[in-house]
Amino acid sequence: MTQIKGFLETSFVDWPGKIASVIFLPYCNFRCPYCHNHGIVLNPDKYETIPIEYVLTRLNEFTGWIDGVCITGGEPTLHPSLPEFIRKFRVQNFLIKLDTNGTNPNVLRNLISNKLIDYVSMDVKAPLDEIRYSKCAGVPVNLTDIRESISLLKGGTVPYEFRVTVVPGLLKEDDIIELAKQLARADKLTIQNFNPSDPLDSELKHVKPYNEGELKRIQDRVSKVLQTPNPQPTTLHLI
Amino acid sequence: MDTFKKIDFKNRKTRTDEETTDMALFVRTSKEDILGWNRQRIVDALVRETYIDIDTAEEISKEVERQIIDSKITVVTAPLIRELVDAKLIERGLEQARRMHTRLGVPLYDVDQLILHPNKENANVPHGPEATNLTLAEVIKKEYALLNVFSQEIGDAHMRGDIHIHDLGFIDRPYCSGQSLEYIKKFGLNLPNSLSIAKPAKHPEVLLAHMVKFAAALQSHFAGAIGWDAVNLFFAPYLEGLSDAEVKQLAQMLIFEFSQQAVARGGQAIFTDINLYWEVPKHFEDVPAIGPGGTYTGKPYGYYLEESQRFVWLLFDVFKEGDGVGRPFFFPKPLVHITEKFFQTPGHEAFLDHICDVASEKGNTYFVFDRGNTAKISECCRLSFKLETSDLEDAKEPWKMRYTALQNVTLNLPRMGYLAKGDDTKLYSNISEFMEMAVQAHLQKKAFIEKLLSLGEKGPLALLTMNKDGSPYLRMHRATYLIGMLGLNELIKIHTGEELQDSKASLKFGLKIIAHMKLLTDKFGKKHGMRFVLEQSPAESTAYRFAKLDLKYHSPESGHIVKGDISKGEVYYTNSTYLPVSLQVNPIERVRKEGLFHPLIEAGSLTHIWLGEAKPSKESLTNFVIKTFRGTLNDQVAFSPEFTTCISCGKTARGLTEKCTYCNSHEVEGITRITGYFTKTSSWNKGKMGELNDRFRNHDFLQERESDVINLR
Repeated sequence: MTQIKGFLETSFVDWPGKIASVIFLPYCNFRCPYCHNHGIVLNPDKYETIPIEYVLTRLNEFTGWIDGVCITGGEPTLHPSLPEFIRKFRVQNFLIKLDTNGTNPNVLRNLISNKLIDYVSMDVKAPLDEIRYSKCAGVPVNLTDIRESISLLKGGTVPYEFRVTVVPGLLKEDDIIELAKQLARADKLTIQNFNPSDPLDSELKHVKPYNEGELKRIQDRVSKVLQTPNPQPTTLHLI
Repeated sequence: MDTFKKIDFKNRKTRTDEETTDMALFVRTSKEDILGWNRQRIVDALVRETYIDIDTAEEISKEVERQIIDSKITVVTAPLIRELVDAKLIERGLEQARRMHTRLGVPLYDVDQLILHPNKENANVPHGPEATNLTLAEVIKKEYALLNVFSQEIGDAHMRGDIHIHDLGFIDRPYCSGQSLEYIKKFGLNLPNSLSIAKPAKHPEVLLAHMVKFAAALQSHFAGAIGWDAVNLFFAPYLEGLSDAEVKQLAQMLIFEFSQQAVARGGQAIFTDINLYWEVPKHFEDVPAIGPGGTYTGKPYGYYLEESQRFVWLLFDVFKEGDGVGRPFFFPKPLVHITEKFFQTPGHEAFLDHICDVASEKGNTYFVFDRGNTAKISECCRLSFKLETSDLEDAKEPWKMRYTALQNVTLNLPRMGYLAKGDDTKLYSNISEFMEMAVQAHLQKKAFIEKLLSLGEKGPLALLTMNKDGSPYLRMHRATYLIGMLGLNELIKIHTGEELQDSKASLKFGLKIIAHMKLLTDKFGKKHGMRFVLEQSPAESTAYRFAKLDLKYHSPESGHIVKGDISKGEVYYTNSTYLPVSLQVNPIERVRKEGLFHPLIEAGSLTHIWLGEAKPSKESLTNFVIKTFRGTLNDQVAFSPEFTTCISCGKTARGLTEKCTYCNSHEVEGITRITGYFTKTSSWNKGKMGELNDRFRNHDFLQERESDVINLR
């Protein structure tokens, strides 16, 4: 059964417009060097498992306040029992947002067609070529799956956003623009700053993240590239 | 006041004591004069200032003279002689005479420290010559208040820290003031002692200039905040026909004028609150509007909805941009009233998003919840004046709406707990006893202010006695007297062993105590015919002071109770009825639980949501604000982000960091909300620094397993 390793009761950040709880599931098939949740990726046993009953009890204490639950990780789609897990929140009328890296388009399709999720936030790591993508993901990546997930979201009915974490040195500004071009007409590409406090690759501790001004400039460029018939602003997202 | 001041030394013919005639002793007087020794001055001062008889005075003067001669010094100062005389008074058991003969002043060391180092009692006071003047004056007036305005019993209670009488250094002023722009719109700017008289403003810029000047005049007559009601609405009749750019310019001027008033009293920015509305409040809808030149426009305020909305929107545009380098404005504080009518007014969704955007981006917005038919003017860190039926009657002539809180006295709740030693009956009797002391303090201050006011236009409070509409500017009959509380959480812990949030029972007990206090204020109010109301004291320095004093008087018990870091001296008690700042509680629980207390605390409450560096989505904040209005009894919320501003490169980034994220410089200053306003953290006192370290910022959500935590150590 899916184990919950982290529980943030309320967030005003993770799901724009919603008051959401965030649930962290362990394990991941990526090893992004900048990952700041690597504890639950590499050594999930080191963390307390929070019983789902506890989480549900807490959520019930905030009926009418908490709109939905963000399921993040790690990579949630690695858990075969994810649909079942989501249903436990579903029956209590919570909306569900899924954070994924897009490596399991089949799971994603299944969740969408069973109407189990209301919003998807998909992390894209780099422009869509094997070398750069694999470098940013820390493992070899099958881009066919990533592309399939992207088109699934762009062509589908569930609201979504793409997110990219920017680390100076790992991604050049032009790489981000190139990625935006590849995602053309997507609803939203959120630029997410990297947090150097405790990255998986400790070398990155010494990398200075982009400052707010630089991020905003990149974001503005991305917004221009990401012209859509129904434009939605790309938002600045700090973690 | 000085012993040697008023006596003409040279023309004095008779020397009463031959012994001293050729004494080569000189006295430095406070008149910047050096005079030869004259014993008679001691006698004169004693007779003039105290009630003692002339023979005793003669005796004392001779003893002091002998002492000085024996010491063989050649120059003495007047203060030293006074101290020697006081010592003789004490030897004779003449305590009352000694009090009357006391010299108020400051040790050399203290003045040196003051001139060299910033004042940390109030983070709103910058460091500079004007600020030093303010502090020095405060020190002396504080001593004066404790000796001469309050009874010994009340003075001692303050010194011990049973109660804290706020702003003692401003003893000759009321505490704070809330008013309407209509007063200067109608009467112009015609202040007692001013060099020129201005007729009512014809242009919006002039109205703003009048507002700023009047605020500065008021600031020098009140200790604390100056609040303005429905500012956007009352400006509206002046804005017709102006372009958006012109109105934006005016908005910018208003905010910059009030944020840069660091040239006013003591170099201190005017603590300004502007109350803002998206709708036209019901009680102003049919009120005839005053326009340019102080004349009626012939239309009611209801007509000016659009102009008033345009102005408030643009004010928030300016708040969002921040100052010249993008930092949040510290003042004026924008207080937006969220009412039932707000939600019935078209465009409220977009406006709420707009002000939530500012809250998320810069933190400025205060959301004031007026449920049902409540209407109020808010100001200070959270204070509000609830409008009663008579006030709503006054609202027809809004210039009459002038409110003051005369004084604020905060009770040391943990102290009551230490003294009660777990006995309920004793605890409740302590509450009554402390409340009684606060009431006495109010009666004494009231009598003093009334004395000053009775001197009328020749007196020190001439401005407050000016009478343009049939009653003096300061309407004493409408004054409130604040009774604040500090450290409910710690009191509960001392008394029951549990903190406020630990169980339903402890929360309930907390509510019971505050309800009891509310009951007592009503009772005392009836008895004295005055409005005593509970307030959540901002307690910027009191939280630190009470904790320090309790460590002194109630150790070792208090060592387990005070919050913060004892080893660094960064100690504090939890403010008013708050849950501890370090508590890992989500914002929903915080607004709900803290909100339970708010209906009992009539003069205002506020829940802080500390955001840290997280920048929430404005839409999520909107969602939260609406739910707080609908689903709780919470009075007011504010979201507080943190910023680091760089002295080297001038840029500002989110979060409190040790170095600039732009240029890596270590020359940085933190900025965040202290109690009810934004300041630089470098100006905070030790207790508040302790609190800042403890503030829970909604971040920690991964729990390492206990066994591993131990292994890691």
